[in-house]
Amino acid sequence: MVSRFDQQKTKHQLFHVSLSLATILICMTYMQYRRNWAHLGSFWDSLIVPIVFIGELLKVILARFFGRIEDGVLTVKQRQKKASYFTPRELFGGLTLQFLCTLLYAFICIILGAPVLANYEQTFVLSLLMTLLTVSPTVFLLGGGGALQVCFCEKPDFITKCEDTALHLFKYNALGGILGAWAGSVVAPLDWGRDWQAYPIPNVIGALLGSALGNIYACTHVLYACGRVYMSKKRA
Amino acid sequence: MDEHKCRLTYTFYMLTLFLCGALLFLIGFFPASYSVAEQEKTVPIDRPTTLHGEKLKPPPANYDSFILFLIDALREDFPRESTMPAVHERACLKLSLHVDIPTVTMPRLKSITTGTLSNFIDIALNVGHTEQVEDSLLHRLKQRKAVVSFAGDHTWVHLFPSEFTRQAANNDSFYVNDFNEGDRNVTSVLAQELEKNDWKLLILHYLGLDHIGHVEGNASPRIKTKLKEMDDAVKKILDHKNMANYLLMLTGDHGMADGGGHGGNTPAETTVPLYLYSKNCSKYAPSTKRYNQIDLTPTLALLLSIEIPTMSIGCIIPEMLQTLTLEQQMYAYFYNAHHLLNKARVKFGHENVRSSDYYHWYQNATLLHKQLLQPLRIGDGSGASKVHYQNAKLNYLRVAREISGQLSESLVKFDYGFIAVGLALTTASSLHLILSVLFLDVAAEQLHLHRLNVVQLLFSLVIGILLNVVAHLVDLVLTSSMLYGLLLLLPIIASVYLTIDVVQALLKIALPPLYSRRLKLSIPLPMPLLVCFAIRMSTLGSSSFIEFEYKTWYYLGSTLLLLTTLRTLRRRITKANVELDGRHLHKIASACVWQQRKIFVVLILLTLMRYLHRLSAIKSTLMIFSLFLYWARLRKFTDTTQTVFKGLAFLLVYCFRGLNGQVHFFEVPEYVAARCMLPVLVLFWCCLALVFVLGYRTALPQKKSGLSLLDEQPQSNLLKLLQTNMTCSLMLVALLYKVQNIVLLPTMLITLDETYKLCDAYGTTARKFSVRMVHVYKIIMTIFVARMFYFYQGNSNSLSTIDLNPGYIGQTSYNPIIVGLFVTLNTYSAEIHSFLYLIVHTLRTDLRSVGIIQLQPPYAKAADSLVIPLYAALVLLPVAIYLCLMLVFRYHLFIYSVFSPKVLYDCYTVLVFYLVFLSTSLYFKLFKHDA
Repeated sequence: MVSRFDQQKTKHQLFHVSLSLATILICMTYMQYRRNWAHLGSFWDSLIVPIVFIGELLKVILARFFGRIEDGVLTVKQRQKKASYFTPRELFGGLTLQFLCTLLYAFICIILGAPVLANYEQTFVLSLLMTLLTVSPTVFLLGGGGALQVCFCEKPDFITKCEDTALHLFKYNALGGILGAWAGSVVAPLDWGRDWQAYPIPNVIGALLGSALGNIYACTHVLYACGRVYMSKKRA
Repeated sequence: MDEHKCRLTYTFYMLTLFLCGALLFLIGFFPASYSVAEQEKTVPIDRPTTLHGEKLKPPPANYDSFILFLIDALREDFPRESTMPAVHERACLKLSLHVDIPTVTMPRLKSITTGTLSNFIDIALNVGHTEQVEDSLLHRLKQRKAVVSFAGDHTWVHLFPSEFTRQAANNDSFYVNDFNEGDRNVTSVLAQELEKNDWKLLILHYLGLDHIGHVEGNASPRIKTKLKEMDDAVKKILDHKNMANYLLMLTGDHGMADGGGHGGNTPAETTVPLYLYSKNCSKYAPSTKRYNQIDLTPTLALLLSIEIPTMSIGCIIPEMLQTLTLEQQMYAYFYNAHHLLNKARVKFGHENVRSSDYYHWYQNATLLHKQLLQPLRIGDGSGASKVHYQNAKLNYLRVAREISGQLSESLVKFDYGFIAVGLALTTASSLHLILSVLFLDVAAEQLHLHRLNVVQLLFSLVIGILLNVVAHLVDLVLTSSMLYGLLLLLPIIASVYLTIDVVQALLKIALPPLYSRRLKLSIPLPMPLLVCFAIRMSTLGSSSFIEFEYKTWYYLGSTLLLLTTLRTLRRRITKANVELDGRHLHKIASACVWQQRKIFVVLILLTLMRYLHRLSAIKSTLMIFSLFLYWARLRKFTDTTQTVFKGLAFLLVYCFRGLNGQVHFFEVPEYVAARCMLPVLVLFWCCLALVFVLGYRTALPQKKSGLSLLDEQPQSNLLKLLQTNMTCSLMLVALLYKVQNIVLLPTMLITLDETYKLCDAYGTTARKFSVRMVHVYKIIMTIFVARMFYFYQGNSNSLSTIDLNPGYIGQTSYNPIIVGLFVTLNTYSAEIHSFLYLIVHTLRTDLRSVGIIQLQPPYAKAADSLVIPLYAALVLLPVAIYLCLMLVFRYHLFIYSVFSPKVLYDCYTVLVFYLVFLSTSLYFKLFKHDA
């Protein structure tokens, strides 16, 4: 499929990526404003989690906005899925899924060496952030059951084209976030004696930077594909 | 079959060559005798008697008798008002000394007596043979026929066999379970010596504190009683009627790390107190200044009125000279600066010295000194002369400090010839090995890695001889005799030969004749494993990552396990989901998670193990529980009779610990406990021997027994023998392990078991099943688990964490072989047994149980053709890279404190692996044909 700048899909992708990058930029600005990063791990004092939450929500709204055009050409399954979005069952399923994911991330943090009880709040914040970066967008977009299906199925048939585009971009975001948070621990054993080396600051920043890198990577992909098409057309 | 045997032999050769290379590298990197090589005859020995034409008189000894009261492992915070009241109260002067690494006894004694820094490799010699010192304070005292008496650690006697007038050394300084006996002897000698009172210098070296630290740690209640005992001994000297004009120096040879050991570089180990006592001293203000341990030597030489030892590079400690007259003090500063300047002239050349800063300072100081001589002699206390005096003193001191620093930096000398040969050999052999494993299927035919090529050998012989001759001609390599030179030819030839092989193979791989005929890797290299391995290698370059190496292993090991688990889980759920067409997804998911529950338990256990040191409150319960678990785990490797004996053996282990008072046990009086200890141990060894013999009896076909083994599964003799070996050494380790560490043994077995199951599941859920993939996963997981458990046990890259206790279980004296064997077995038990377990597992496993029926090549067959060589290659490769890094970092600030211990550990790891490999492959050679 050729991709052009004026295509709906490309527009969606570029808007999406710029939203993600803007979110992370806002996070960075906020961190710069606060100067002291020691609060990054606390739940009530840090604005990182709400900012990322709003960012993800905006991305979902964006996907909905672009999906509105396709409304006419949906299959029966997609229509059913769409109708059941706001049912209590789906809502409850989505919340449970996110909660379980947070627990899983907390478990992973502890397995990888986070203090078990001493830093529970920090662990909670970190796992909340990870959930927000990885699972939540999909859940917001498709509901709990849909997200599970996406995770464990080769290609579910209820996904619309627009949702597919968004999911594809969510994947970069999530992978970047996970790898970044994982790699953030590299500074922990170093003997520099900086206060930002304390858990979970490097991991939080790593997650944000990682997801930014993932988005940049996705962005380059999109731009490269479009640019190639543009060039070939110009030559023709 | 032939090919497999050939591969084991090949691996054996490569490992041997690697070890030779590592040995050569170590010899080059830590030249054992640089101090001897540097014959400093050119440094004048006698004391200077003139200064710019003025006559100078060396001061006479200020005290009649000197006592060096050395307490092994006395760290700075031990002498307190509460622990050692007399020592604390009556000290004239309290200083703290900085001790250089390695913080072990023998190099420290050398430093105190000769005033020079010691070589890193002295640490290895600390335990074994010791070379004699050429020139020291004691030699000088002997020349003057002064009486020197000594009591304590027999390392002194090794260092100074004929310098003491009277000596009463401990019989066995390395027997760490001796807390009191040796010290009591020293104190009784002290009483006799105090009565005689004919000596100039009395050296007392108490070992008890160090032994308590090694066995019970630095928080042991015994330390308090020991310090009290030391305090009483000091008081005895101070209050004795014969002691009129004396100087008592109380110090430690090195400190004690927080765990109780020593050898490392922590402040607790490298700082020792120096307390001085003399009759009617005026109390000086407590000085917070820190001096080096080597500064003690020149100061002591001046106080004793003897020459400074030629090797000494220390400065003067001004506080110790307070009782001297100003003129004498001036002389002391002058003499030391003069001595150091002479040393600098020899070392750096006259021209360099003349153009340096310190030479001008020295000139300045001597001129002032000369001006001062007259006023000082007539006792002029005017302000001007005081200023002159201070000025001269400061100049002398900074000359000394500057030269001392430069000299101690220039002591490092590398033997690049040996380093080059060693590095070439290690790198070439490890690359050779890894190439031959990676291109397993084509290595023999296309890369010609396994066959010995005669032409190539001759060629490398010629090149080797040429290189050797050239290197000798241009003095790149210095060997003491012809024979060594010829011996050096062998590693050179081997490295040339291997390098040619490796280059050829690399060329063939990189530049295939036709693109379609590219050589393919025979082993799949999964990305995550590769990444983890690469990270582990890249962390070798950072000193803090080496210091906290355990963090890397915990993190990467857990990551690998977790990643594999999650991927398996996802694949399983996806598979089931596709089969069920997307319905009941959450049920499927929960069922799959439940199926994998054990691996999650293992992950939690691995996390718990990090907090093992906090579990000492329940250690008795934990020990019983873990011994039981251990017994149950080992049951599947043995038959019923053996299992009974094994249970008995574990009971005896508990009894032994109970009698030692380390776990809850029946109340028994101490003398009964001491009596019972030996029979318990003998019984344990009997059980072990029985298990061993029974295992071998079933394996070796002695006679046809009436009961046929038809109902049992036919297992090969090889497997049975290996199982018996492994079981026995695991049982022995249960005896050697620390009480709270015993829980690691069953945990390790469980972890390995579950990891292998996980790898099987991972392999079988993959789209394209490949046996080699499973093997690779298992091998790398085993390496990671082994390292994790190695660090859980409390090991680290610092020499201070070597646990010496297991070496002395059931021993009444120091036997280097047994102690070495036991300590090695205890320290490296995780690595040794993981490797053995992997081999046994590979031989036992039947993949039919997980649903794979036909396998080409058969699973168990890979044990010696793939598993052992790949394991060996993965053990060697990081070490080879680390050796190269050492060369790069040779002038790094932390080279001796952080990087060097690690290199010793690494080389020793390879050696241990080599021995285990040797014994295992011997069994393969002997019994494989029965399979």
